[in-house]
Amino acid sequence: MLREVLQAVEAAEGPITLNELSSKLELDPRVLDGMLEHWSRRGKLVVDGARKTACAGNVTPARCSCGSATDKANCPFLIRLPKSYSISSDSDIPITAKEA
Amino acid sequence: MIHADAISAEPKVLSIALAGNPNAGKSTLFNALTGARQHVGNWPGKTIEKKTGEMRRDGRLIAITDLPGAYSLSAYSLEEIVARDFLLHERPDVVVVVADATNLERNLYLVVQLLELELPTVVVLNMMDVAAEQGLQIDVDALSLALGAPVVTAVARREQGIEAIADAACRASTAPFSARRLDYGPAIESAINHVQVAADGNPAVLAGYASRWLAVRLLEGDDDLASRIATMPGGRSLLALAEERRAAVADALGEDVDLVMADRRYSWIHALTERVLQADSLAQVSPSDRIDRIFTHRRLGIPIFMLAMWFVFKITTDLSAPWVDWIDGVLSGPLSRWALAGIASLGLSNTWVASLVVDGVIAGVGGVLAFIPVLLSLYLALAVLEDSGYMARGAFVMDRLMSRIGLRGRSFLPLMVGFGCSVPAIYATRTLTNERDRILTALLVPFMSCGARLPVYVLFAAIFFPRFSSVVIMGLYLLGIFIAIVVGLMLRRSLLPSTAPAAGLVMELPPYRLPTVRSIRYQMWLRTRAFLQHAASLILFTSMLIWLLTAIPAGRGGAFGDVPMGDSVFGRLSSILTPALRPLGFGSWESGGALISGLVAKEVVVSTMAQTYATTGPVGDGGATSFAADMREIIASFGRAVVDTFRAVPGLVGINLNGGGDETSPDLAGAIRASFAASSGGHAAAAGLAFMVFVLLYTPCMATIAAERHELGARWTWLSLGGQLIIAWVAAFLVFRLGVLVGGG
Repeated sequence: MLREVLQAVEAAEGPITLNELSSKLELDPRVLDGMLEHWSRRGKLVVDGARKTACAGNVTPARCSCGSATDKANCPFLIRLPKSYSISSDSDIPITAKEA
Repeated sequence: MIHADAISAEPKVLSIALAGNPNAGKSTLFNALTGARQHVGNWPGKTIEKKTGEMRRDGRLIAITDLPGAYSLSAYSLEEIVARDFLLHERPDVVVVVADATNLERNLYLVVQLLELELPTVVVLNMMDVAAEQGLQIDVDALSLALGAPVVTAVARREQGIEAIADAACRASTAPFSARRLDYGPAIESAINHVQVAADGNPAVLAGYASRWLAVRLLEGDDDLASRIATMPGGRSLLALAEERRAAVADALGEDVDLVMADRRYSWIHALTERVLQADSLAQVSPSDRIDRIFTHRRLGIPIFMLAMWFVFKITTDLSAPWVDWIDGVLSGPLSRWALAGIASLGLSNTWVASLVVDGVIAGVGGVLAFIPVLLSLYLALAVLEDSGYMARGAFVMDRLMSRIGLRGRSFLPLMVGFGCSVPAIYATRTLTNERDRILTALLVPFMSCGARLPVYVLFAAIFFPRFSSVVIMGLYLLGIFIAIVVGLMLRRSLLPSTAPAAGLVMELPPYRLPTVRSIRYQMWLRTRAFLQHAASLILFTSMLIWLLTAIPAGRGGAFGDVPMGDSVFGRLSSILTPALRPLGFGSWESGGALISGLVAKEVVVSTMAQTYATTGPVGDGGATSFAADMREIIASFGRAVVDTFRAVPGLVGINLNGGGDETSPDLAGAIRASFAASSGGHAAAAGLAFMVFVLLYTPCMATIAAERHELGARWTWLSLGGQLIIAWVAAFLVFRLGVLVGGG
């Protein structure tokens, strides 16, 4: 079951909702969520959730917005986005500016 | 409530641990069981709240500990570690595991793991009332038989089933352990047996753990447990054996052992749930699911999203127009008069100080502040969409669009943030682990029209396209997306070819809900405050700098503060751009100056135009009026704005009662219209549209350049800057020429 879930995510052409995937796999969406969580623990999927994304990666508060936000949590230009799972890329090939 | 230190010293007869998934109703059950006899503290060395309580049953004192909610006992999160450590080291007499009856299958994963601990366990199916409402029927006896543990039903929030739970817990504490063991298949069972036998032979290693559970966890590669076992006498040899068996089984099965074991649990639970749970399939389709079938439909999703965005811009332009008029009138009329009166009282009238205050600060910053109603309307509409859950759907359908240019799913997050501000959006690309995706996404972010450009669009749309403002503004946003797609495709096929196929993305869409006033108010305030901070710092500074440059004569003629703007330092510097802008229809020094100052921040385009196109009369319609008359006018115009706002509401559905709005100062609008008509050979509207397109596509601001430099390095930043300028020029040229062809006068 777990392997099927991962394969279904890998095979998905573009984004898919949890409900669409659960219908496809004939699984309860909440069970499917647990399985996706399992794969994220194993590092195969990456979970993105809501506000943390926009100010991720040791960005100093001053850089969080156009210099007007005083802290990351209150960055006013962030859009609350739903939790999402995507395939973790382990085929990253570093690219240097020289290649440009 | 009593502090944790004050726990009763009375000997405890029975200890119960309450376990369960988050939101399974565990704490509600805890409250129902213990009433007011609760103690609250923290778990040792942790910030997680620890709740303990007491109850009496047939004269026995029962101590109950509410464990943190956890989905499994895999020691992944702090909550899981705390819960697991308590169960392993405190060894409660009974574990009461609370399962959400409406989400049985997922909750059973923790139940199965708890049963492997070989502690007396009672399973509580909570929220049975909600399950019944959802058409779910659970065969409790069959479930109990399959698990080998007592199963009790309850509705904790109504305190139903509490007695039965207490009875079952008391019985379980004395009954022999009888839970069914999950069969992991011959290969893994053989490995479990090997490790279990070795562990049984070494009581020091067992340290109170159930030997089968220990074997299962070691084969699953539990690092936390392994590090503890390693410190015990004989622990390393047990770990070596487990590792050897683990490798052998993985070789035999061609799959990681932990994956096979987790899969086995899921499969067993799935089969069990199918057997014991009957669901009314019609009741399972929630209203959110039904709505989503339309809103996230592959063909209908994007047109619906476009319609929603059109409505947002319609609200933004139509409802705010009377208020823009009102603020503009107050700033350019009474406020300027009061400022001048104050300056005159200091004996500084007709000096550069008066000019700085009126032509610099009030015209510049005021020109931008007048657009606060526009931004408030936008923030209101966006907050409603966000709170209702629709924005998540919008993001989803937009991501589908973006995935067509080969962008990975996660790229859309920074791109969506880019509609607010390019700077955090570029930093947000750090979350992309693929270097090429990260660079490509950061290069595309500036094409997403940030919020700072909106005042420019609103000003120009009101001047040149008063009846179609919302359509024009939405068209600009769409053009930005279109250009991003085209540029993305070109970069994918040239400098940044994909190293991996665009992978899938699964998005968990929240259910639709009614937005709350409190949340919407908070979001509007947060964003408006940021805008005001911006106006009070960067825009104020830039307005004063531009005033200074317009006050200094470029040549020998004229004196400081007494020079035609075109002959000032600012006018001369700005006119350098004029030849390049002439083919676009807006080749004037005023336009060039606004575009240059717009590099500081896009709102400054508006403030600069308000300054450079300022009509020379001291203030508004001139003429001395009393303070009382000014106040009467402010109140009267406020009343007119309220009435006009209500009259604008029918306009949202196509009924126009206001006769077309013009939310700009007539002087400023007339001056801009005349200037664009002159520079475009009479095709002012085409030139105005080309100007908006140029503002959309050229460099957002210096902070964005700094962010790109920081994240991408100098070469990519130069490429980005050059590319944006070329694209902006070409697109504006095409728009202007097309406008001239179709007769855009």
